Amino acid sequence: MNKASDNETVDVLIIGAGASGAAVAWSLADTRMHILCLEQGDWTTTSDYPTNAKNWEAQQFGAYNINPNVRGLETDYPINGDASPIDVVNFNGVGGSTILYAAHWPRLHPSDFRVKTLDGVADDWPVDYAQLEPYFVENDRMMGVSGLAGDPMYPPKLPPLPPLPMGLVGDTMAKAYDKLGWHWWPSDSAIISEPYEGRDKCLNLGPCVSGCSQGGKSSTDITYWPQAIRSGVELRTRCRVREITVNEQGMADGAIYYDGDGQERFQKAEVVIMACNGVGTPRILLNSKSAQFPDGLANNSGLVGKNLMFHPVSVVQGVFEERLDSHKGPQGCCILSKEFYETDGDRDFVRGYNMQIVRGAGPLTTAMQGHGSGTIPWGPGHHEAFRKRFDHVASIVNVCEDLPEECNTVTLDPELVDSNGIPAPKITYRVSENSRKMLAHSVARGREVMEAAGAREIVSNDLLRASGWHLLGTARMGHDPASSVVNSWGRSHDVKNLFIVDGSIFVTSGGVNPTSTIQALALHIADTMKQNLANLFD
Amino acid sequence: MTNDGNATDHPLSPAQRQRQRLSALLDTILPASEDGAMPSAGELDFLAFVREQAEDFMPALGRALDHFDDEFPDSPLPVRLARVQDYAGTEGKAFNSLLFHIYDCYYQDDRVRELIGVMPGPPFPQGNTVEPGDLSRLDAVVARSPGYRRSLR
Repeated sequence: MNKASDNETVDVLIIGAGASGAAVAWSLADTRMHILCLEQGDWTTTSDYPTNAKNWEAQQFGAYNINPNVRGLETDYPINGDASPIDVVNFNGVGGSTILYAAHWPRLHPSDFRVKTLDGVADDWPVDYAQLEPYFVENDRMMGVSGLAGDPMYPPKLPPLPPLPMGLVGDTMAKAYDKLGWHWWPSDSAIISEPYEGRDKCLNLGPCVSGCSQGGKSSTDITYWPQAIRSGVELRTRCRVREITVNEQGMADGAIYYDGDGQERFQKAEVVIMACNGVGTPRILLNSKSAQFPDGLANNSGLVGKNLMFHPVSVVQGVFEERLDSHKGPQGCCILSKEFYETDGDRDFVRGYNMQIVRGAGPLTTAMQGHGSGTIPWGPGHHEAFRKRFDHVASIVNVCEDLPEECNTVTLDPELVDSNGIPAPKITYRVSENSRKMLAHSVARGREVMEAAGAREIVSNDLLRASGWHLLGTARMGHDPASSVVNSWGRSHDVKNLFIVDGSIFVTSGGVNPTSTIQALALHIADTMKQNLANLFD
Repeated sequence: MTNDGNATDHPLSPAQRQRQRLSALLDTILPASEDGAMPSAGELDFLAFVREQAEDFMPALGRALDHFDDEFPDSPLPVRLARVQDYAGTEGKAFNSLLFHIYDCYYQDDRVRELIGVMPGPPFPQGNTVEPGDLSRLDAVVARSPGYRRSLR
């Protein structure tokens, strides 16, 4: 590994070691350039994950909570979500949110890149599915993805590993979709169903969203990063970037960051790549003010931090007479349905949603959620109510496409700061009318599925608050510098040696979990950079 | 836990009385099942659990017990339920925290886990066996599917 000293200029400085930062670092490593990645968090180890311990569920309520404001770790930054009905959830460390994600792995559809042309809303992307397809394939191979070829809702694709087991939950729900004549398919999952690249296969532990003790879940700390580091990339942890600096010519020339001891440092660089997700990236850019960029770096369009998209999520849960062994198997990866994914003129909204079937929770979570909802009392009725619910549930998580709106923003909070004194992000977000109609539709259709499945009780949540995994759109791609922040290969229109590779650059959100597409885009950008090395800044 | 009480003529020490109240509280919040299959929370060593896994909760537990007097353990079940309900109503956050730790202790217990069909111990490294499911039904899905918007590729 090359090691950069403080006064040495690296060729490429990557900010963030999560899904996109790992992919771009690995891809660029074969250029033999001097590449340094700064990551504010730490490495995690599989032996530290909660499922090694009997109190694994309790840890999910604390140090391994998906919400950084609940975790409150020094490596996290606080997020002001008071003006949003959806909370941001993430993880900060090597691997980023792939450490805690569910690893559900659908790609965007070809139609997702042509939203304006097809449906007259939002904008088309400056890239399309066909351009990204080789990168989807390469990324699936690098990450280790399980799935089943032949899904008619996609162009042909071949996941490298066979699908994960559906279990009783998947079988029960698949029968219901068959009864209704609706689409379903085993989910593509970034979880390995067979030994792969030195990793052991998934053990069906259950709670993927608190880290995978087995290493069967494909987080980038165990996929991309080991290979990138072997290829010479330097990864420096506990380095929190405060701002990107520019020279007199308005080119990025490095980053000011705080090391693990809280010491302010400066790293010089020829090229800077932002990979901090749809909240972290605009946060740093907006905090990088200078004479040339008084409103924040790369923000001549005024769009940095705007057009924030989540995926509004509704949940429909069915309680069944028969035992479904719900707590066994990857919680978020089972089967999915794309029946309502594409726009249908007969509906009162445009675009659509993905129905993701998820398995059940462990006993502590079941008991506490039952207490919260009033379905499982404490006292004499507890055991009977618990017995009827625990391991007897299946849920549909409806991931709804969110369209970009400039009023949905990431800005810098005027008061809240992180442990280094850097302004925290503030989220201002409202659920659009189109999304509300889509959410209502998804709940109604979800209830139909549960009825067809024979659920004896159905409960639903019209909008899940703790669902802000997918942070998109806050530095969008486009051909026009007036209406976008970066071009079709992630380069800032305003700063020719500044690139963005994370979910910020999404033009629209699609209606699926975005990590697969984020990484394919990062690989596409890295490849384009390599092809243009001779005139990268022209 | 705090030591309470100043009644020197009581046959039990303050600590013993506090343990009685704790035991009664646990059995009120999570009693044994009617068929006797499931143990009550009071049958588990809740104090050892708190000491080992949730030491920060100990002061709050002491404060919770302070809400219940020495008559509580000998009161009939409906009275105890009403007292706990009253506590839950007036000290909602504290009660939820108490309930969380009681459930956490209870559902970590190997005997309880076996009774509810969950393997004892942590999930890793034992893992679980999950049925593969019937993929033959997908032929019908392919046959009836409208497909993606092919023209866009």
